[in-house]
Amino acid sequence: MKMNWMTFLRPAPIGDVAEGSFVVVHPLDDVLEEKVDTTTLGLMPMTTSVRFSLMVLRGYLIVMMLLVLYHVMDLAGAFGHAR
Amino acid sequence: MQEKDLFVSIAGEAATQPVRGRVVRSKWLYRVMTFLVVFGPGLIVMEADNDAGAVSTYVQTGAQYGTRLLWVLLLLLPVTYFIQEMVVRLGIATGKGHAAMIYQRFGRWWGMFSLIDLQLVNFLTLVTEFAAISLALSHMNIAPMVGVPLAAVGLTVMVLSGSYRRWERVTVFLCLLDLAWVALALKVRPSFGQIFHDSFVPGIPAGGLTANLVFLIVATVGTTIAPWQLFFQQSCIADKRLRFADVKWAQLDTFLGAVFTITVAACMMLAGNAARVHGIVFSDPAQMANDLHLFSGEAVRSGILLLMINAAVLGTTAISLSSAWAYGEVKGWPHSLDMPIRKAPGFYLSYVACVGLAAAIVLIPRAPLQLIILGVQVLAGIMLPSAIIFLQLLLNDKEMLGEQFVNKRWNNWVNWTIITVLFILSLILAAQVAAPNLFPAS
Repeated sequence: MKMNWMTFLRPAPIGDVAEGSFVVVHPLDDVLEEKVDTTTLGLMPMTTSVRFSLMVLRGYLIVMMLLVLYHVMDLAGAFGHAR
Repeated sequence: MQEKDLFVSIAGEAATQPVRGRVVRSKWLYRVMTFLVVFGPGLIVMEADNDAGAVSTYVQTGAQYGTRLLWVLLLLLPVTYFIQEMVVRLGIATGKGHAAMIYQRFGRWWGMFSLIDLQLVNFLTLVTEFAAISLALSHMNIAPMVGVPLAAVGLTVMVLSGSYRRWERVTVFLCLLDLAWVALALKVRPSFGQIFHDSFVPGIPAGGLTANLVFLIVATVGTTIAPWQLFFQQSCIADKRLRFADVKWAQLDTFLGAVFTITVAACMMLAGNAARVHGIVFSDPAQMANDLHLFSGEAVRSGILLLMINAAVLGTTAISLSSAWAYGEVKGWPHSLDMPIRKAPGFYLSYVACVGLAAAIVLIPRAPLQLIILGVQVLAGIMLPSAIIFLQLLLNDKEMLGEQFVNKRWNNWVNWTIITVLFILSLILAAQVAAPNLFPAS
């Protein structure tokens, strides 16, 4: 079957689809699909070890952010001895 | 079940049928065309990561170590694919962005932390993109005071049309322009035997494990895998409304994007290697382009400068969108490129604010750009492993995703290995910040 690229870019209205034919629909032209409903789930249930690991991660990230902030301010000469 | 029937079932019982589409008779053609309509987010997220900072890092790596670190790039191909592939499944299953997911499943603290960190790193990165545009323009004898605002206006017009498809086509075209890096790499006559050897035989360059080498390896990893990519691709997939049946095509899109971006990154390293071979010492890619033209011609000079601008434009549109989508998701605002401005004013305003403020900062005389670049690298390096941990936890959330979309056992093995390596690199980066003399200087 001969296809023209520009024709492909301009999809046509779908009429009756003959037997043995296939329909290509752009996702934005398709009807809305029902997705996983996440709004009613609430927070993720976690084991104690996962919860503890996330607490450690939180502490690590806070310390690292403060460290970076100190380093950048030091480089900027905020403490009076710019490198 | 015939694929036509599958399509009808996607349409669901409540709705009747899609209004527009292409009817084809060949199953092969159907598959090719279905891939083409799904294609986009994977290529864009990967290639936009070859932004201005990446150009600088890759050419610098090539200039200092030649082709010796090509194996690092090759290793990063599966790493970057496996991370983004998880985002594909999560985005298609939920139809929501990454920021919304973290907020809903991990609570307000982590939601706000992720959002603020993302916005901060993204904004600093945007400043570096405009700094690169300004630098390249000045080497082309175009005043940054004129060129930078014009670039900001162009970047704004790109998204304001209210059509996702129009934005995607323009952006995919810009991504494909990066193929010119391959032509540039060929023009500087690389040694294919050496490239093959250094890609497949890992090794440390002569001089051993120095502070500079460690920094460049960490920078290469941090440049190839960035936190904003997780947020961008999931939101992009949600905005494009990819369907359950599109998962395999979106995975293929992501894989081809990964191959494309690693190939382009390798070509950038080869350009840097050419400068090394000719004994050119440079501080940025624009200066390298200027000096390299004595040996490789004016086409190489202009090509590198234009590709620098293209890289920065791609990076800017993708990063600004990841910020705008994430902010819109958390605030509950309408946030779609397929909406006109009047229906999603907050979303478009966020995008325009990101672009406009970053452009304005670059035009301030004596702005501390080196400090900003350092901040971007370090913050992104710190944020990435923790962002991937949340992704990994979400992909093991059977309550939310069910059996179809959760990680398989082998996915978890691969991903935890990647997270461990990234954490080690993040700790090395942290150690280097805390103790700059940890590794020998040379």
